[in-house]
Amino acid sequence: MIQLVLFGVFNGLIVGAFYALMAIGLSLILNLSGVINFAHGGFLALGGYLAYSLAPTIGFWGALLIAPLITAAIGLLVERLLVRPLYGRDPLYSLLLTFGLAFIFQDGLRTIWGAQSVPFSPPAAMMSPLSAQLFFLTGYRLFMMALVAIAVGGLFYVLGWTRLGLRIRAGTRDLETLSTLGVDVRVLRNLNFGLGIYLAGLAGVLAAGQLGLSPTMGDGLIMPSFVSIIVGGLGSLVGTLLGGLLIGVASGLAAVFFPSAQEAVIYVMMVAVLLARPRGLLGEEGRVH
Amino acid sequence: MTPLSAVGLETFYGKSHVLHGVSIEVREGEIVALLGRNGAGKTTTLRSIMGLTPPREGSVRAFGQLVTGLPPFRVAALGVGYVPEGRKIFGNLTVDENLRAPADRPGPWTLARAYQAFPRLAERKANKGSQLSGGEQEMLAIARALLLNPKVLILDEPSQGLAPLIVEEVFRIVRRVREEGASVLLVEQNVRAAVALADRAYVLDDGKVIYEGAAKDFAADEARVRELAGASAETWDLGD
Repeated sequence: MIQLVLFGVFNGLIVGAFYALMAIGLSLILNLSGVINFAHGGFLALGGYLAYSLAPTIGFWGALLIAPLITAAIGLLVERLLVRPLYGRDPLYSLLLTFGLAFIFQDGLRTIWGAQSVPFSPPAAMMSPLSAQLFFLTGYRLFMMALVAIAVGGLFYVLGWTRLGLRIRAGTRDLETLSTLGVDVRVLRNLNFGLGIYLAGLAGVLAAGQLGLSPTMGDGLIMPSFVSIIVGGLGSLVGTLLGGLLIGVASGLAAVFFPSAQEAVIYVMMVAVLLARPRGLLGEEGRVH
Repeated sequence: MTPLSAVGLETFYGKSHVLHGVSIEVREGEIVALLGRNGAGKTTTLRSIMGLTPPREGSVRAFGQLVTGLPPFRVAALGVGYVPEGRKIFGNLTVDENLRAPADRPGPWTLARAYQAFPRLAERKANKGSQLSGGEQEMLAIARALLLNPKVLILDEPSQGLAPLIVEEVFRIVRRVREEGASVLLVEQNVRAAVALADRAYVLDDGKVIYEGAAKDFAADEARVRELAGASAETWDLGD
Protein backbone atom coordinates (compact mmCIF):
# COMPACT_ATOMS: atom_id res chain seq x y z
CA MET A 1 0.00 0.00 0.00
CA ILE A 2 2.71 2.46 1.05
CA GLN A 3 4.60 1.43 -2.02
CA LEU A 4 1.59 2.18 -4.21
CA VAL A 5 1.08 5.57 -2.61
CA LEU A 6 4.77 6.38 -3.09
CA PHE A 7 4.48 5.21 -6.67
CA GLY A 8 1.54 7.51 -7.28
CA VAL A 9 3.12 10.46 -5.52
CA PHE A 10 6.42 10.08 -7.31
CA ASN A 11 4.85 9.68 -10.74
CA GLY A 12 2.72 12.68 -9.88
CA LEU A 13 5.74 14.75 -8.95
CA ILE A 14 7.37 13.93 -12.27
CA VAL A 15 4.30 14.91 -14.25
CA GLY A 16 3.79 17.87 -11.95
CA ALA A 17 7.34 19.03 -12.60
CA PHE A 18 6.55 19.14 -16.32
CA TYR A 19 3.32 20.99 -15.67
CA ALA A 20 5.22 23.43 -13.48
CA LEU A 21 7.98 24.06 -16.04
CA MET A 22 5.39 24.69 -18.73
CA ALA A 23 3.16 26.73 -16.50
CA ILE A 24 5.94 28.94 -15.14
CA GLY A 25 7.00 29.78 -18.70
CA LEU A 26 3.40 30.52 -19.65
CA SER A 27 3.02 32.63 -16.54
CA LEU A 28 6.16 34.66 -17.20
CA ILE A 29 4.91 35.54 -20.67
CA LEU A 30 1.35 36.17 -19.57
CA ASN A 31 2.38 38.41 -16.67
CA LEU A 32 4.72 40.69 -18.59
CA SER A 33 3.24 40.65 -22.07
CA GLY A 34 -0.40 39.76 -21.49
CA VAL A 35 -0.11 37.02 -24.09
CA ILE A 36 -1.56 33.57 -23.54
CA ASN A 37 0.88 31.43 -25.46
CA PHE A 38 -1.06 28.52 -26.89
CA ALA A 39 2.03 27.60 -28.90
CA HIS A 40 3.90 26.74 -25.69
CA GLY A 41 3.31 23.02 -26.22
CA GLY A 42 4.68 23.38 -29.74
CA PHE A 43 7.90 24.88 -28.40
CA LEU A 44 8.11 22.02 -25.91
CA ALA A 45 7.84 19.44 -28.70
CA LEU A 46 10.35 21.39 -30.77
CA GLY A 47 12.83 21.21 -27.90
CA GLY A 48 12.38 17.45 -27.71
CA TYR A 49 12.82 16.89 -31.44
CA LEU A 50 15.86 19.14 -31.62
CA ALA A 51 17.46 17.06 -28.87
CA TYR A 52 16.53 13.91 -30.77
CA SER A 53 18.28 15.19 -33.91
CA LEU A 54 21.29 16.58 -32.08
CA ALA A 55 21.92 13.62 -29.77
CA PRO A 56 23.60 11.35 -32.39
CA THR A 57 26.26 13.99 -32.99
CA ILE A 58 26.71 15.73 -29.66
CA GLY A 59 25.35 13.06 -27.33
CA PHE A 60 22.51 13.17 -24.84
CA TRP A 61 24.22 15.65 -22.54
CA GLY A 62 25.15 18.00 -25.33
CA ALA A 63 21.61 17.86 -26.67
CA LEU A 64 20.21 18.53 -23.22
CA LEU A 65 22.34 21.66 -23.07
CA ILE A 66 21.92 22.94 -26.63
CA ALA A 67 18.36 22.03 -27.66
CA PRO A 68 16.61 24.27 -25.12
CA LEU A 69 18.90 27.15 -26.10
CA ILE A 70 18.02 26.77 -29.79
CA THR A 71 14.36 26.57 -28.83
CA ALA A 72 14.73 29.77 -26.82
CA ALA A 73 16.45 31.48 -29.75
CA ILE A 74 13.51 30.55 -31.98
CA GLY A 75 11.25 31.90 -29.25
CA LEU A 76 13.09 35.23 -29.29
CA LEU A 77 12.61 35.39 -33.05
CA VAL A 78 8.92 34.53 -32.90
CA GLU A 79 8.34 37.21 -30.26
CA ARG A 80 10.28 39.82 -32.18
CA LEU A 81 8.67 39.17 -35.56
CA LEU A 82 5.14 37.98 -34.80
CA VAL A 83 4.10 38.76 -31.23
CA ARG A 84 5.59 42.25 -30.81
CA PRO A 85 3.46 43.93 -33.50
CA LEU A 86 0.35 42.83 -31.60
CA TYR A 87 1.17 44.42 -28.23
CA GLY A 88 -1.31 47.10 -27.30
CA ARG A 89 -4.02 45.59 -29.46
CA ASP A 90 -7.01 43.57 -28.44
CA PRO A 91 -5.71 40.41 -26.68
CA LEU A 92 -7.75 38.40 -29.17
CA TYR A 93 -5.10 39.05 -31.83
CA SER A 94 -2.25 37.48 -29.89
CA LEU A 95 -4.54 34.66 -28.83
CA LEU A 96 -5.34 33.89 -32.46
CA LEU A 97 -1.67 34.17 -33.38
CA THR A 98 -0.43 31.70 -30.78
CA PHE A 99 -3.36 29.41 -31.46
CA GLY A 100 -2.41 29.36 -35.13
CA LEU A 101 1.25 28.96 -34.30
CA ALA A 102 0.43 25.87 -32.27
CA PHE A 103 -0.96 24.22 -35.43
CA ILE A 104 1.95 25.42 -37.53
CA PHE A 105 4.38 23.90 -35.05
CA GLN A 106 2.55 20.59 -35.06
CA ASP A 107 2.44 20.35 -38.83
CA GLY A 108 5.99 21.58 -39.13
CA LEU A 109 7.24 18.92 -36.73
CA ARG A 110 5.20 16.29 -38.56
CA THR A 111 6.69 17.36 -41.89
CA ILE A 112 10.27 17.32 -40.67
CA TRP A 113 10.28 14.36 -38.29
CA GLY A 114 7.22 12.35 -39.32
CA ALA A 115 3.88 11.73 -37.66
CA GLN A 116 4.95 8.56 -35.82
CA SER A 117 6.33 8.72 -32.32
CA VAL A 118 10.06 8.25 -32.21
CA PRO A 119 12.01 6.95 -29.23
CA PHE A 120 14.59 9.13 -27.56
CA SER A 121 16.80 7.51 -24.98
CA PRO A 122 18.88 8.95 -22.21
CA PRO A 123 22.01 6.96 -21.36
CA ALA A 124 20.96 3.37 -20.58
CA ALA A 125 22.68 3.36 -17.18
CA MET A 126 20.17 5.96 -16.02
CA MET A 127 17.11 3.98 -17.04
CA SER A 128 17.30 0.99 -14.70
CA PRO A 129 15.45 1.05 -11.38
CA LEU A 130 17.56 1.89 -8.37
CA SER A 131 15.96 -0.86 -6.27
CA ALA A 132 13.39 -3.62 -6.74
CA GLN A 133 11.27 -2.23 -3.92
CA LEU A 134 11.08 1.21 -5.43
CA PHE A 135 10.83 -0.03 -9.02
CA PHE A 136 9.60 3.35 -10.28
CA LEU A 137 12.77 5.16 -9.15
CA THR A 138 15.25 5.32 -11.98
CA GLY A 139 18.36 7.45 -12.11
CA TYR A 140 16.87 9.37 -15.00
CA ARG A 141 13.71 10.24 -13.10
CA LEU A 142 15.68 11.49 -10.12
CA PHE A 143 17.97 13.40 -12.44
CA MET A 144 14.93 14.92 -14.14
CA MET A 145 13.51 16.09 -10.84
CA ALA A 146 16.85 17.55 -9.82
CA LEU A 147 17.20 19.37 -13.14
CA VAL A 148 13.72 20.82 -12.91
CA ALA A 149 14.53 22.00 -9.40
CA ILE A 150 17.73 23.59 -10.64
CA ALA A 151 15.96 25.26 -13.56
CA VAL A 152 13.21 26.64 -11.36
CA GLY A 153 15.75 27.68 -8.73
CA GLY A 154 17.83 29.37 -11.41
CA LEU A 155 14.80 31.23 -12.71
CA PHE A 156 13.86 32.40 -9.24
CA TYR A 157 17.44 33.53 -8.74
CA VAL A 158 17.32 35.57 -11.95
CA LEU A 159 13.98 37.10 -11.02
CA GLY A 160 14.87 37.77 -7.41
CA TRP A 161 18.50 38.80 -7.53
CA THR A 162 19.41 40.27 -10.90
CA ARG A 163 18.63 43.60 -12.46
CA LEU A 164 16.95 41.88 -15.39
CA GLY A 165 14.77 40.04 -12.91
CA LEU A 166 13.75 43.08 -10.92
CA ARG A 167 12.86 44.85 -14.13
CA ILE A 168 10.74 41.90 -15.23
CA ARG A 169 8.94 42.05 -11.88
CA ALA A 170 8.58 45.82 -12.13
CA GLY A 171 7.27 45.55 -15.68
CA THR A 172 4.77 42.94 -14.63
CA ARG A 173 3.32 45.54 -12.28
CA ASP A 174 3.63 48.67 -14.39
CA LEU A 175 5.30 48.49 -17.78
CA GLU A 176 4.47 52.07 -18.66
CA THR A 177 6.27 53.53 -15.66
CA LEU A 178 9.23 51.24 -16.24
CA SER A 179 9.47 52.60 -19.76
CA THR A 180 9.60 56.19 -18.49
CA LEU A 181 12.66 55.18 -16.47
CA GLY A 182 14.55 54.56 -19.68
CA VAL A 183 14.22 50.78 -19.67
CA ASP A 184 13.81 49.32 -23.15
CA VAL A 185 10.64 47.39 -22.47
CA ARG A 186 10.65 45.81 -25.94
CA VAL A 187 13.94 44.09 -25.24
CA LEU A 188 12.69 43.19 -21.77
CA ARG A 189 9.59 41.49 -23.17
CA ASN A 190 11.69 39.74 -25.76
CA LEU A 191 14.14 38.33 -23.21
CA ASN A 192 11.31 37.37 -20.89
CA PHE A 193 9.58 35.51 -23.72
CA GLY A 194 12.85 33.72 -24.48
CA LEU A 195 13.19 32.75 -20.83
CA GLY A 196 9.72 31.21 -20.83
CA ILE A 197 10.40 29.34 -24.07
CA TYR A 198 13.72 28.08 -22.72
CA LEU A 199 11.85 26.36 -19.91
CA ALA A 200 9.45 24.84 -22.44
CA GLY A 201 12.37 23.57 -24.51
CA LEU A 202 14.02 22.08 -21.46
CA ALA A 203 10.77 20.40 -20.44
CA GLY A 204 10.56 19.04 -23.98
CA VAL A 205 13.98 17.38 -23.85
CA LEU A 206 13.29 15.89 -20.44
CA ALA A 207 9.83 14.72 -21.44
CA ALA A 208 11.21 13.16 -24.61
CA GLY A 209 13.54 11.00 -22.53
CA GLN A 210 10.68 9.87 -20.36
CA LEU A 211 7.67 9.67 -22.65
CA GLY A 212 9.10 9.54 -26.16
CA LEU A 213 8.45 12.04 -28.94
CA SER A 214 5.42 12.91 -30.97
CA PRO A 215 4.36 16.13 -32.68
CA THR A 216 1.42 16.43 -30.31
CA MET A 217 3.34 15.67 -27.12
CA GLY A 218 2.72 19.22 -25.84
CA ASP A 219 -1.04 18.95 -26.16
CA GLY A 220 -1.54 16.83 -23.09
CA LEU A 221 0.52 19.24 -21.02
CA ILE A 222 -0.93 22.58 -21.98
CA MET A 223 -4.35 22.37 -20.34
CA PRO A 224 -2.97 21.08 -17.02
CA SER A 225 -0.42 23.90 -17.21
CA PHE A 226 -3.17 26.49 -17.45
CA VAL A 227 -4.87 24.78 -14.55
CA SER A 228 -1.60 24.99 -12.58
CA ILE A 229 -1.53 28.74 -13.11
CA ILE A 230 -5.11 29.13 -11.97
CA VAL A 231 -4.74 26.83 -8.97
CA GLY A 232 -1.51 28.56 -7.92
CA GLY A 233 -2.96 32.02 -8.39
CA LEU A 234 -2.50 34.33 -11.33
CA GLY A 235 0.62 36.45 -11.02
CA SER A 236 2.45 34.26 -8.52
CA LEU A 237 5.22 32.07 -9.93
CA VAL A 238 5.71 30.25 -6.63
CA GLY A 239 1.99 29.59 -6.70
CA THR A 240 2.27 28.27 -10.24
CA LEU A 241 5.06 25.92 -9.16
CA LEU A 242 2.98 24.68 -6.24
CA GLY A 243 -0.09 24.38 -8.43
CA GLY A 244 1.79 22.28 -10.99
CA LEU A 245 3.21 19.89 -8.41
CA LEU A 246 -0.10 19.65 -6.60
CA ILE A 247 -2.23 18.73 -9.58
CA GLY A 248 0.58 16.44 -10.77
CA VAL A 249 0.49 14.51 -7.52
CA ALA A 250 -3.31 14.47 -7.55
CA SER A 251 -3.38 12.96 -11.02
CA GLY A 252 -0.53 10.59 -10.13
CA LEU A 253 -2.47 9.25 -7.15
CA ALA A 254 -5.66 9.09 -9.17
CA ALA A 255 -3.83 7.06 -11.82
CA VAL A 256 -3.07 4.43 -9.17
CA PHE A 257 -6.33 4.35 -7.26
CA PHE A 258 -9.02 5.67 -9.64
CA PRO A 259 -7.48 5.41 -13.11
CA SER A 260 -10.65 6.60 -14.80
CA ALA A 261 -10.55 9.87 -12.85
CA GLN A 262 -6.95 10.63 -13.75
CA GLU A 263 -7.80 13.57 -16.00
CA ALA A 264 -10.91 14.76 -14.24
CA VAL A 265 -9.19 15.06 -10.88
CA ILE A 266 -7.18 18.02 -12.15
CA TYR A 267 -10.32 20.00 -12.88
CA VAL A 268 -12.03 18.88 -9.71
CA MET A 269 -9.06 20.25 -7.82
CA MET A 270 -9.24 23.51 -9.69
CA VAL A 271 -12.90 23.93 -8.79
CA ALA A 272 -12.23 23.05 -5.15
CA VAL A 273 -9.35 25.53 -4.87
CA LEU A 274 -11.28 28.30 -6.58
CA LEU A 275 -14.29 27.78 -4.32
CA ALA A 276 -12.08 28.08 -1.24
CA ARG A 277 -9.73 30.75 -2.61
CA PRO A 278 -11.10 32.56 -5.65
CA ARG A 279 -7.67 34.02 -6.46
CA GLY A 280 -5.90 30.70 -6.27
CA LEU A 281 -3.46 29.51 -3.60
CA LEU A 282 -1.04 32.43 -3.70
CA GLY A 283 -2.87 34.81 -6.03
CA GLU A 284 -2.41 38.51 -5.63
CA GLU A 285 -5.17 40.87 -4.64
CA GLY A 286 -7.06 42.44 -7.48
CA ARG A 287 -4.63 41.99 -10.31
CA VAL A 288 -5.87 40.23 -13.36
CA HIS A 289 -4.69 41.06 -16.83
CA MET B 1 19.84 73.18 -26.66
CA THR B 2 16.32 73.71 -25.33
CA PRO B 3 15.58 70.83 -22.96
CA LEU B 4 11.92 70.53 -23.87
CA SER B 5 9.73 72.16 -26.45
CA ALA B 6 6.28 71.06 -27.45
CA VAL B 7 4.54 72.77 -30.32
CA GLY B 8 0.87 72.61 -31.24
CA LEU B 9 0.02 69.41 -29.39
CA GLU B 10 -3.34 67.90 -30.31
CA THR B 11 -3.87 64.90 -28.09
CA PHE B 12 -6.83 62.56 -27.85
CA TYR B 13 -7.98 59.91 -25.43
CA GLY B 14 -9.95 57.71 -27.75
CA LYS B 15 -12.45 60.06 -29.31
CA SER B 16 -12.21 62.81 -26.73
CA HIS B 17 -10.03 65.69 -27.84
CA VAL B 18 -8.06 66.76 -24.76
CA LEU B 19 -5.30 69.10 -25.95
CA HIS B 20 -6.02 71.81 -28.50
CA GLY B 21 -2.74 73.12 -29.82
CA VAL B 22 -0.73 73.25 -26.60
CA SER B 23 2.75 74.70 -26.94
CA ILE B 24 5.13 74.87 -24.00
CA GLU B 25 8.83 75.20 -23.58
CA VAL B 26 11.31 74.51 -20.81
CA ARG B 27 14.60 76.37 -21.23
CA GLU B 28 17.90 75.42 -19.75
CA GLY B 29 18.09 75.78 -15.98
CA GLU B 30 14.46 76.84 -15.65
CA ILE B 31 11.75 75.69 -13.31
CA VAL B 32 8.51 75.90 -15.24
CA ALA B 33 5.14 75.50 -13.55
CA LEU B 34 2.23 74.09 -15.50
CA LEU B 35 -0.99 75.13 -13.79
CA GLY B 36 -4.68 74.72 -14.34
CA ARG B 37 -7.78 73.24 -12.82
CA ASN B 38 -8.58 69.55 -12.75
CA GLY B 39 -9.14 68.22 -16.22
CA ALA B 40 -7.44 71.17 -17.92
CA GLY B 41 -4.99 68.84 -19.65
CA LYS B 42 -1.88 69.15 -17.48
CA THR B 43 -1.19 65.45 -17.09
CA THR B 44 -2.08 64.85 -20.74
CA THR B 45 0.50 67.45 -21.75
CA LEU B 46 3.16 65.64 -19.74
CA ARG B 47 2.09 62.27 -21.14
CA SER B 48 2.24 63.67 -24.66
CA ILE B 49 5.79 64.88 -24.05
CA MET B 50 6.90 61.53 -22.58
CA GLY B 51 5.40 59.54 -25.40
CA LEU B 52 2.93 57.81 -23.08
CA THR B 53 -0.02 59.29 -24.95
CA PRO B 54 1.44 60.40 -28.26
CA PRO B 55 -0.15 63.52 -29.76
CA ARG B 56 -2.05 63.16 -32.99
CA GLU B 57 -0.68 66.49 -34.22
CA GLY B 58 2.17 68.68 -33.15
CA SER B 59 5.75 67.98 -32.27
CA VAL B 60 7.85 67.37 -29.18
CA ARG B 61 11.56 68.00 -29.05
CA ALA B 62 13.91 67.01 -26.27
CA PHE B 63 17.32 68.67 -26.41
CA GLY B 64 16.71 69.55 -30.02
CA GLN B 65 15.85 66.04 -31.07
CA LEU B 66 12.41 65.27 -32.45
CA VAL B 67 10.83 62.67 -30.16
CA THR B 68 7.19 62.77 -31.26
CA GLY B 69 5.94 59.22 -31.54
CA LEU B 70 8.97 57.66 -29.89
CA PRO B 71 8.34 55.21 -27.04
CA PRO B 72 8.85 56.61 -23.52
CA PHE B 73 12.14 54.80 -22.93
CA ARG B 74 13.72 56.58 -25.89
CA VAL B 75 12.57 59.95 -24.58
CA ALA B 76 13.86 59.06 -21.12
CA ALA B 77 17.19 57.93 -22.56
CA LEU B 78 17.78 61.48 -23.85
CA GLY B 79 17.70 62.68 -20.25
CA VAL B 80 14.04 63.32 -19.54
CA GLY B 81 13.11 62.18 -16.02
CA TYR B 82 9.48 61.64 -15.12
CA VAL B 83 7.77 61.43 -11.75
CA PRO B 84 4.24 60.34 -12.58
CA GLU B 85 1.03 61.41 -10.92
CA GLY B 86 0.26 59.11 -8.03
CA ARG B 87 3.99 58.21 -7.78
CA LYS B 88 3.54 54.80 -9.45
CA ILE B 89 6.27 53.15 -7.45
CA PHE B 90 6.63 49.40 -7.91
CA GLY B 91 4.84 48.15 -4.80
CA ASN B 92 6.02 44.57 -5.35
CA LEU B 93 9.68 45.63 -5.33
CA THR B 94 11.79 46.73 -2.38
CA VAL B 95 12.92 50.33 -2.10
CA ASP B 96 16.38 49.26 -3.20
CA GLU B 97 15.02 47.40 -6.22
CA ASN B 98 12.86 50.37 -7.19
CA LEU B 99 16.01 52.45 -7.27
CA ARG B 100 17.90 49.93 -9.38
CA ALA B 101 15.18 49.73 -12.02
CA PRO B 102 16.07 52.86 -14.07
CA ALA B 103 18.45 52.67 -17.01
CA ASP B 104 22.05 53.78 -16.42
CA ARG B 105 22.93 57.21 -17.66
CA PRO B 106 26.11 58.94 -16.64
CA GLY B 107 25.71 61.77 -14.15
CA PRO B 108 25.98 62.77 -10.52
CA TRP B 109 23.29 60.45 -9.18
CA THR B 110 24.32 57.04 -7.90
CA LEU B 111 22.56 54.67 -5.58
CA ALA B 112 24.84 55.71 -2.72
CA ARG B 113 24.19 59.38 -3.34
CA ALA B 114 20.44 58.83 -3.51
CA TYR B 115 20.51 57.17 -0.09
CA GLN B 116 22.57 60.09 1.21
CA ALA B 117 20.09 62.62 -0.14
CA PHE B 118 17.07 60.61 1.03
CA PRO B 119 18.12 59.08 4.36
CA ARG B 120 14.59 57.87 5.01
CA LEU B 121 14.86 55.65 1.94
CA ALA B 122 18.13 54.21 3.22
CA GLU B 123 16.34 53.23 6.42
CA ARG B 124 13.58 51.55 4.46
CA LYS B 125 15.83 50.02 1.83
CA ALA B 126 14.59 46.47 2.33
CA ASN B 127 10.90 47.37 2.67
CA LYS B 128 8.47 46.76 -0.16
CA GLY B 129 7.34 49.87 -1.98
CA SER B 130 3.78 49.12 -0.95
CA GLN B 131 4.75 49.39 2.72
CA LEU B 132 5.86 53.02 2.46
CA SER B 133 3.85 56.05 3.53
CA GLY B 134 2.66 58.50 0.89
CA GLY B 135 5.52 60.86 1.62
CA GLU B 136 8.11 58.10 1.45
CA GLN B 137 6.62 56.91 -1.82
CA GLU B 138 6.93 60.38 -3.27
CA MET B 139 10.58 60.55 -2.20
CA LEU B 140 11.14 57.15 -3.74
CA ALA B 141 9.50 58.18 -7.01
CA ILE B 142 11.68 61.29 -7.18
CA ALA B 143 14.86 59.45 -6.24
CA ARG B 144 14.07 56.78 -8.80
CA ALA B 145 13.64 59.39 -11.53
CA LEU B 146 16.86 61.13 -10.46
CA LEU B 147 18.85 57.91 -10.78
CA LEU B 148 18.30 58.17 -14.52
CA ASN B 149 20.42 61.31 -14.20
CA PRO B 150 17.92 63.42 -16.11
CA LYS B 151 18.82 66.80 -17.54
CA VAL B 152 15.19 67.82 -17.31
CA LEU B 153 12.87 66.49 -14.62
CA ILE B 154 9.12 66.35 -15.08
CA LEU B 155 7.01 66.12 -11.92
CA ASP B 156 3.27 65.53 -12.02
CA GLU B 157 1.62 66.83 -8.84
CA PRO B 158 4.34 65.74 -6.43
CA SER B 159 2.57 67.34 -3.45
CA GLN B 160 -0.73 65.54 -3.98
CA GLY B 161 -2.04 64.15 -0.71
CA LEU B 162 1.10 64.95 1.27
CA ALA B 163 1.49 66.74 4.60
CA PRO B 164 2.82 70.31 4.32
CA LEU B 165 6.13 69.41 5.92
CA ILE B 166 6.79 66.77 3.29
CA VAL B 167 5.72 69.09 0.51
CA GLU B 168 8.37 71.55 1.69
CA GLU B 169 10.90 68.74 1.48
CA VAL B 170 9.78 67.92 -2.07
CA PHE B 171 10.12 71.55 -3.12
CA ARG B 172 13.57 71.72 -1.54
CA ILE B 173 14.62 68.79 -3.67
CA VAL B 174 13.23 70.45 -6.79
CA ARG B 175 15.34 73.52 -6.04
CA ARG B 176 18.38 71.35 -5.49
CA VAL B 177 17.86 69.55 -8.79
CA ARG B 178 17.87 72.89 -10.55
CA GLU B 179 20.95 74.05 -8.67
CA GLU B 180 22.73 71.01 -10.05
CA GLY B 181 21.97 72.17 -13.54
CA ALA B 182 18.83 70.26 -14.53
CA SER B 183 15.65 71.96 -15.67
CA VAL B 184 12.26 71.22 -14.15
CA LEU B 185 8.72 71.03 -15.48
CA LEU B 186 6.30 70.96 -12.59
CA VAL B 187 2.57 70.33 -12.62
CA GLU B 188 1.05 71.54 -9.36
CA GLN B 189 -2.32 72.05 -7.78
CA ASN B 190 -0.77 74.33 -5.19
CA VAL B 191 -0.73 77.45 -7.26
CA ARG B 192 0.87 79.75 -4.72
CA ALA B 193 3.65 77.37 -3.82
CA ALA B 194 4.33 76.57 -7.46
CA VAL B 195 4.58 80.16 -8.68
CA ALA B 196 6.81 80.99 -5.71
CA LEU B 197 9.18 78.26 -6.87
CA ALA B 198 9.01 78.62 -10.63
CA ASP B 199 10.66 80.98 -13.08
CA ARG B 200 7.90 80.83 -15.61
CA ALA B 201 4.35 79.57 -15.58
CA TYR B 202 1.81 78.27 -18.05
CA VAL B 203 -1.86 78.05 -17.27
CA LEU B 204 -3.97 75.51 -19.12
CA ASP B 205 -7.71 75.61 -19.43
CA ASP B 206 -9.80 73.23 -21.47
CA GLY B 207 -6.74 71.94 -23.27
CA LYS B 208 -5.46 75.38 -24.30
CA VAL B 209 -2.69 77.57 -22.94
CA ILE B 210 -4.46 80.65 -21.53
CA TYR B 211 -1.51 82.25 -19.78
CA GLU B 212 2.19 82.18 -20.38
CA GLY B 213 4.74 84.37 -18.67
CA ALA B 214 7.03 85.00 -15.75
CA ALA B 215 5.89 83.24 -12.59
CA LYS B 216 6.55 86.44 -10.67
CA ASP B 217 4.07 88.39 -12.78
CA PHE B 218 1.46 85.69 -12.38
CA ALA B 219 2.01 85.61 -8.62
CA ALA B 220 1.52 89.38 -8.49
CA ASP B 221 -1.88 89.12 -10.15
CA GLU B 222 -3.78 88.23 -7.00
CA ALA B 223 -7.16 87.95 -8.73
CA ARG B 224 -5.85 85.39 -11.18
CA VAL B 225 -4.03 83.43 -8.51
CA ARG B 226 -7.10 83.36 -6.28
CA GLU B 227 -9.33 82.27 -9.12
CA LEU B 228 -7.05 79.40 -10.06
CA ALA B 229 -6.17 78.45 -6.49
CA GLY B 230 -9.85 78.48 -5.54
CA ALA B 231 -10.60 76.08 -8.34
CA SER B 232 -7.90 73.68 -7.25
CA ALA B 233 -8.56 70.68 -5.14
CA GLU B 234 -6.10 71.62 -2.43
CA THR B 235 -5.21 75.04 -1.12
CA TRP B 236 -2.82 75.95 1.61
CA ASP B 237 0.22 78.11 2.18
CA LEU B 238 3.73 76.89 2.35
CA GLY B 239 4.61 79.63 4.81
CA ASP B 240 7.87 80.68 3.27
